[in-house]
Amino acid sequence: MSNDIFVITEHMDGKFSDVSFELVGKAKELASALGGQAVAVVVGSGTASNVFASDSTIQVDDTALSQFNPEAYGKVIEALVKDKSPRLVMFGWTATGMDLAAWLSARLGVPCAAYVKNIGADLTMSCQAYGGKMSADVAPEGDMAIAAVLAGSFPVEAGQGSTAATTMASPVALDGLKTKFVEAIKPAAGDVDITAQTKLVSIGRGIGSKDNVELAEELAGKLGATVSSSRPVVDAGWLPRTRQVGKSGLKVKPKLYLMLGISGAPEHLEGMKSAELIIAINTDKKAPIFNVAHYGATADLFEVAEAMLELL
Amino acid sequence: MNIVVAIKHIPSIADDLPVKGNNVDFDSVDFVLNEFDEQSIEQAVLVKEAVGGTVTVVGVDMIGELDGVLHLALAKGADKAVKITGDDPAADSHQQAKWLAEAIKGMSADMVFAGVQASNDLDGQIGPMIAAHLDMPYIGGVSSVEVAGDSATVNKEFAGGVGAKYSVSLPMVVGVQASTKPPRYAPVSKVRQVAQTATIEKVAPSGDAGSGLTFKKMAPPVVTGHAEMIEGSSKDVAKKIVELLKSKGLA
Amino acid sequence: MLTLIEKIIFVLLALISAGFTVHGFKTIIDSVRRGRPAPELKNVPASLLRAGVMVLLQQTIFKARKVLSAIHLGLFFGLITYAFVNLVDVLEGFIPGFDLVYGGRNFAFTFLPAGVINAFNLIADVMSGALLFSITVMMARRFIVKDKRLTYRDNVMLNPKILAGGQAKDSLTVGVFVIMHVAARLLGQAFRLTDGADPFMPIASFLSNIFGASQTGIHVAWWVSIGWVLYILPYITRSKHTHFTVGPVNLGLAKQNPRGLLDPAVPAGTKLDPGAKFLHDLSWKRVLDSYACVQCNRCQDVCPANFYGRPLSPSALEVNKRYLIKEATFGSHPDRLLLPLTETVISAEAVWSCTTCHACVSICPVGNEPMADIIDIRRRLLIDGGEIDSGVQNALQSLATNGNWMSKGKRLRGRWAKEMEFPVKNATEEPVENLWFVGDTASFDERVVPNTKMVARIFQQAGFDFGIMYQNENNAGNDVRRVGEEGLFEQLVEQNLQSFGKAQFKQIVTTDPHSFNTLKNEYPQFGGKFEVKHYTAVMAKLFEEGKLTVKNPLSGYKVTYHDPCYLGRYNGGFSAPRRILQMLGVEFNEMPRNCENSFCCGAGGGQIWMGKVAPGERPAENRIKEALTTFEKNPNDKKQLFIVTCPKDMIMYSDAVKTTGNEGKIEVRDLIQLIAEAVGVEMPLEAEAVAS
Repeated sequence: MSNDIFVITEHMDGKFSDVSFELVGKAKELASALGGQAVAVVVGSGTASNVFASDSTIQVDDTALSQFNPEAYGKVIEALVKDKSPRLVMFGWTATGMDLAAWLSARLGVPCAAYVKNIGADLTMSCQAYGGKMSADVAPEGDMAIAAVLAGSFPVEAGQGSTAATTMASPVALDGLKTKFVEAIKPAAGDVDITAQTKLVSIGRGIGSKDNVELAEELAGKLGATVSSSRPVVDAGWLPRTRQVGKSGLKVKPKLYLMLGISGAPEHLEGMKSAELIIAINTDKKAPIFNVAHYGATADLFEVAEAMLELL
Repeated sequence: MNIVVAIKHIPSIADDLPVKGNNVDFDSVDFVLNEFDEQSIEQAVLVKEAVGGTVTVVGVDMIGELDGVLHLALAKGADKAVKITGDDPAADSHQQAKWLAEAIKGMSADMVFAGVQASNDLDGQIGPMIAAHLDMPYIGGVSSVEVAGDSATVNKEFAGGVGAKYSVSLPMVVGVQASTKPPRYAPVSKVRQVAQTATIEKVAPSGDAGSGLTFKKMAPPVVTGHAEMIEGSSKDVAKKIVELLKSKGLA
Repeated sequence: MLTLIEKIIFVLLALISAGFTVHGFKTIIDSVRRGRPAPELKNVPASLLRAGVMVLLQQTIFKARKVLSAIHLGLFFGLITYAFVNLVDVLEGFIPGFDLVYGGRNFAFTFLPAGVINAFNLIADVMSGALLFSITVMMARRFIVKDKRLTYRDNVMLNPKILAGGQAKDSLTVGVFVIMHVAARLLGQAFRLTDGADPFMPIASFLSNIFGASQTGIHVAWWVSIGWVLYILPYITRSKHTHFTVGPVNLGLAKQNPRGLLDPAVPAGTKLDPGAKFLHDLSWKRVLDSYACVQCNRCQDVCPANFYGRPLSPSALEVNKRYLIKEATFGSHPDRLLLPLTETVISAEAVWSCTTCHACVSICPVGNEPMADIIDIRRRLLIDGGEIDSGVQNALQSLATNGNWMSKGKRLRGRWAKEMEFPVKNATEEPVENLWFVGDTASFDERVVPNTKMVARIFQQAGFDFGIMYQNENNAGNDVRRVGEEGLFEQLVEQNLQSFGKAQFKQIVTTDPHSFNTLKNEYPQFGGKFEVKHYTAVMAKLFEEGKLTVKNPLSGYKVTYHDPCYLGRYNGGFSAPRRILQMLGVEFNEMPRNCENSFCCGAGGGQIWMGKVAPGERPAENRIKEALTTFEKNPNDKKQLFIVTCPKDMIMYSDAVKTTGNEGKIEVRDLIQLIAEAVGVEMPLEAEAVAS
């Protein structure tokens, strides 16, 4: 047993995602409180890993790990964690972390908390579940725990540094994997890059139907903005994936983020909360988005949009 | 193909959630099917329609009202329905995953589908945990599935249209983010017809597992900030927004 | 008069004609009989008799187009007269000495006095003129003036034969027949006038002056006049002019159930698939409809979807049905009957653009129900998993899980009541006199909730004992049924009936006309027999009984009132809202389209769930303009209000006032807001926001 805090970092095309730095920063804080070390774990192949402010960085290097492969990554992390017995293993509650955290928890029989927003020095974790409607404080039992943390919970800067990595070979054999990475999928070419836009008109489930997307397009046109959306709109096929803001979509930081009919699930907030001006229109006065937006109105989005069109 | 869909019956967040003690008051909430499970059922049926086989939907009966959900799944094209008589509305994901895995063990599943997440996954999702128990590979965030022979090709989404294609030799567990086509509508008359004729297999829960989490507090999140609310008619709101945008040089 | 050879030829031709005519009608009857069972009709002879009287008085056509309807009188009575005239003409041809000119001077038989003969001659002569005049006007309207109301929009699905001009040819054929037939008959009589004018045959006498008498002429004219009949009788059975014969019968067999009660999706006592995919999935009565229709297009004139430029024309639906059967029976395309109706008679888009406002059915002079066909087609499209508008799908999904279409949790349904300053009884927990069925929009829509609260306050002030069912209330299902989701409708009915079962009450009161309609007319079919009232009737009574009194007369308001389809046209609730308005002391201005002829706001039949699609003027926008035009006739400085009594109207018309840029000129208010003001129930702040 140790009081070390492991952060399972994530990277793509040699670049670490913000959440990895956020977690390392938090891990340092926790480790110093617990008297352990903050350890950044990099699973990959030839990744330049001396970018963290961690107490140490372990880099597991194998060509089979060059791309994210949940099966391979899971095996490596399981072996490593079993070997080192950290106090806490932190993942991002992200597309990659979500494949691993609960899996590892079940494999090792250790507690796991997801949707984590904050972690106390006693490892009590605050989770924001039920679509952001509830905040739960949970305490893990036992000597080891896993936390899957919502991106954007902690500052990025605290985790940035230059700790050199200790490279090691994979602790488990990586032949005979059932999962094979085939190819990367790039966003459909030709569509606008919403991360590069200064103004976004973002639509959610409240838009109701595909036909109504036109109204948003029209409004965006008048504002010189681009239409983006929350996940349900994309899942319904009303807009291409490239327009999706949020955890499984893109992180945006526009000057204006005008939200029509988005209630503000944590997954969406992850992608837009650092926008400079957030205005939200929603019919539910209790929608969580109103806790995040700068300006809000309980109103019918169609009426407001149409009225705005006349004024613009 | 033996396709299994593991579903979760979860508290509806369309209502305000009441709290009892340190958890949700499960006696005074409505339970609904996890929205990602709708995608996962659709994806399973699409695979069956493409390559043949049977789809078995299995879930833990949390409050004795799972039948309606299972009937809906059958009406949408599932072939068999199984409910695990958990009867514990507070059963967490770890417990449900264990029960589900035990139930699925005997089904010789080639593929297991689950929704990529659920809003009450405070202790993680059932999909990867079922995979861990069954020793099958897991990929979540999946938005398309194609099956050829004994392997499946799945597209996993990372973010913003960036993703990766994987080929997996079956069996495997898939965490569905979105089905290839939006979920179909099942007319209620069909659901009712199914309800009259279908048999739902009951399985006693087997195996203990828990999240290992102690709930210390459950409450609506403390609001740190709140938007400045614009009052008035829609017209007023529009006017104020436009004024605001103009004052900031954004319109 | 006729020679033996002529007689033989005529008899032979008549037999052939009769054969084709009988075959024609038999084919029609066979096709009608292939239709599904229709709801049982009670006392058919009495209905037919009533219809006969209505037809003789030509009541049903005068619901619209008064002048053209008057012209139709000429056609109708002319052709009735001619049925007798033709009979006499045949006798004239076959019986020597059967000669009626000059009061029967040369008549070989003595049983008819000259007065009767003269009367007959006069009627025949004058009606000939009336017929010629009427048919000329009708032909001129179609072929010279080219009245647009007789045509269809380009986006309306039409049978290829119609597109190729089949309908115009049909009209021309019958028009020319009538002219030739009547003209020849008149000439035939003129040729008989050997002794100058017959004062009882003014037109024939006039013609005689020009053409003189002629024996040969008599023969030729006879053959032209009666010979045509031999052709036209079988022709009629193959054309839209089956209207002459089927129209009155169809009216006699028209739906007897309340307007607001839809025919079941599956005919009683059968195990057929619900709804209609193919022509003969329609009930026999609605197959018959297509033969009664003469494409006057009165239905199209009043159709809000058609107005909005959607590809729906109820009349096109009927004519397409008839052409489809014709192709299958008289033509060489029996296979086309195996094509779905959405490919042969009405496009899927048209099916989904119907607002179920009932205007087409109400206006139809011959008792057709195109709207019922549309709903049956929707029913099957839903079952068959056809592509459904995503908005409708979302609404239905939410209705199935939450009991409301707005994706709100069940428990939130009574949230407005919990916000009230006095406790609102839960009718499922304690007995109440009046169970208030609130409905989705009034329960959840933040724009309408202030009005809902106002209703509660007024009830409270009037000492009107009421309660609501909170989370036990589900959407009543009116629009669910009309969108075609019969199963979900039944589920909602069952859930509500269970809730009603938990409650003790004397009557149900509802603020929503749509809920009102189905609760009143359809729930009894499922065993839910209750006294159901719309709030306007309840409030009118409260005023009349003195339980509510007008403290602040609203003479400063100039108002017009829009009849909601499901309160007005469907259920005849015209008087209560007008009585209330009168009691409130407002200046009332009636719009031209009122009561039975009210023009739908465009939200019904599931339209409110669908995306906003077509460009062009929306029905609601047109209605606001109508209101303003009405107000302009009576200019003054009063505040102009557009009064509604349906939550959907509140939304649709508030929107339309904005989109037509008429804010400041006219304001949309629910009647309840006026009542609240008049009886001195304070308007809470939030309601003022809505009102402004």
